[in-house]
Amino acid sequence: MLKRINDKEDLTDTAVRLGDASFPAPFPSGLEYGSPARGAWNIVHTAMLVPQGHQIYVCAAGCLRGVVLTAAEMHAEDRFSCISIRENNVLDGDMETLIIDGIEDILSRLPVRPPAILVYTSCIHHFIGCDLSLVYAKLRERFPDIDFAECYMNPIMRKSGLTPDELTRRSVYTLLHPADPDSHSVNIIGNDLATDETSDLVRLTHSAGFRLHDITLCRTYAEFQNMAASFLNITTQPAARAAASALEDRLGQKQLYVPLCYGYDEIDENTRRLAEALIVPCPDPSPARASCEKALAAALAVIGTTPVAIDYTATPRPLGLARLLLEHGFHVERIYLDAFNGEEKKDFCFLQEQFPDIKLYATIRPKMRFVNRHAGEKLLAVGQKAAYFTGTNYFVNIIEGGGMYGYDGICRMAGLMTEAFLAEKDARSLIQIKGWGCGCCL
Amino acid sequence: MIKLAVYGKGGIGKSTTVSNLSAAYADRGYRVMQIGCDPKADSTISLHGCDHMTTVLDLVRSRKDDFTLDEMVKIGCKGVVCVEAGGPTPGLGCAGRGIIAALEKLKEKGAYDVYKPDIVLYDVLGDVVCGGFSMPMRTGYADKVFIITSGENMALHAAANIAMAVENFRDRGYAQLGGIILNRRDVKREDEKVAELSEDIHSSVIGSLSRSSTVQDAEELGKTVIEAFPDSDMAKEYRMLAAAVYKAACGKEW
Repeated sequence: MLKRINDKEDLTDTAVRLGDASFPAPFPSGLEYGSPARGAWNIVHTAMLVPQGHQIYVCAAGCLRGVVLTAAEMHAEDRFSCISIRENNVLDGDMETLIIDGIEDILSRLPVRPPAILVYTSCIHHFIGCDLSLVYAKLRERFPDIDFAECYMNPIMRKSGLTPDELTRRSVYTLLHPADPDSHSVNIIGNDLATDETSDLVRLTHSAGFRLHDITLCRTYAEFQNMAASFLNITTQPAARAAASALEDRLGQKQLYVPLCYGYDEIDENTRRLAEALIVPCPDPSPARASCEKALAAALAVIGTTPVAIDYTATPRPLGLARLLLEHGFHVERIYLDAFNGEEKKDFCFLQEQFPDIKLYATIRPKMRFVNRHAGEKLLAVGQKAAYFTGTNYFVNIIEGGGMYGYDGICRMAGLMTEAFLAEKDARSLIQIKGWGCGCCL
Repeated sequence: MIKLAVYGKGGIGKSTTVSNLSAAYADRGYRVMQIGCDPKADSTISLHGCDHMTTVLDLVRSRKDDFTLDEMVKIGCKGVVCVEAGGPTPGLGCAGRGIIAALEKLKEKGAYDVYKPDIVLYDVLGDVVCGGFSMPMRTGYADKVFIITSGENMALHAAANIAMAVENFRDRGYAQLGGIILNRRDVKREDEKVAELSEDIHSSVIGSLSRSSTVQDAEELGKTVIEAFPDSDMAKEYRMLAAAVYKAACGKEW
């Protein structure tokens, strides 16, 4: 039976004043806690974006629990298999054979042969120096009709080099075969959610006559393969950049990083760079800016001085969003994040100087298990973790920016905040769903 | 680029032999890189003459990925590019994992592309006791494995074990056995015993080295025999061995 060994948890330093925070790591690293707000995507969700793809995890059974549950919750068990590693595999040194034969066995049992398999190896392969080059060479030789993506479920590397999230986003696009370049096609890559049709980015691309491909919209593997022909890969999420660089190196596709952001000047700069890459005139931002001002003013008229909390799962730019809202009269009281996005240094400095009393809360510090999760007064949260930790049912239920982008994204965000403020949600049931917005979870 | 891995029982004289081979190749005008794959990090000491060399794992531990290729190497005598993989704290950690990490880091930092060595020599610790120690045999690393042994039984057992590892990996396309190097300890029936081993493992003795005090004299000076006593008989033996290894590795005269 578990026994509490300390009656009282010291919660005095749970929050850090933004004015006192260090950049980019405001909290000490240590034991971590996982809150029940589980909407953020994991590697299983992202890899499921490959149409008709099949995932195989090679790992000790105990460590497979999380990914198995994710696949089960997605009702995607038919696209997911495991190879369980036992001690004898380490002692016998047959790890390479185990993977190859295991995959062959799985393939023999699948009712339909998948066009692509994403093979996730794990920490143990890393520790013992499993010859993965040999494994993939043999797999490709033995199953020439199947594409294999080299993926990693390697928590010990979580804080060095590319993160598992970045690695998976990169691995997914290694499945693209070289193709003749199509100067009329562009991709948005590395995002988990489709970018809104009404967004500045999609509208500009479509209005210029380009075909826009996005894995989130592909329904077949053949359709996904069409992405290999696009001459340009656009990324809007920081975690997608490694994928774009890898494709530039391997397929020669140009890359353009135009990050999801909330500062007007940066939005204009992104639009200018996009227009330049597409060789089309850059649109005048004035009408869009005016629409934003109007939308934000309308939202403020409803939300008023109600405290606002933002978390990092809602957007990769929580500081940027906080700054936008604060500059437009909203009362952003707290931000939930564990580390700052390196791209937010300017916003960090601005907020530190102008709004030093904003409270920063970590989401993974064990102390967060014990904090009072009831804000006491009505509070509007942007993001599931902010909703969970403040105990509010008034929240914008989005992850990774929710597909919103540019000035249109700000207008939509203002609308969603108003909607969330006016209509209570069932936070408890909503935030328990893993991989919010993942098509397979519906 | 010719890539060679030299294995053998601990204390058999691998580092001394490999360093003299490196010096002999460099003398001959080849660009040489010597990579010590021993946690003690003393493979290249007679080439660069420093008591301590920062190892790849030292850098990985202290700086994660924030270091340059230049910081991973030291240029030794005759321009030999010296690298020490390093290892964990003695008694702790995993030495095999250390070698894997170091060799991967070298590749990742483009060591072979930047220095463009003609000859790369991996000096590998003792037996092939785990996957980490077989790393230099893998595709992309050494093409040929050479085993150093004396006529002592323990050295012969280790050599047989190494040969078995090479054989086990044959269908994987890993490095092939290039031959046996006899480093004499002047034990009874030494030539005969090593010849028997060679036959058992379907290989051959490609060269031998005499037991000579010149080697210890050079070591006292912190140098290779090639550098310290270039006209000695021992230097001649190392040059002959270098030529034999070169031929066994690529089929050409050096």
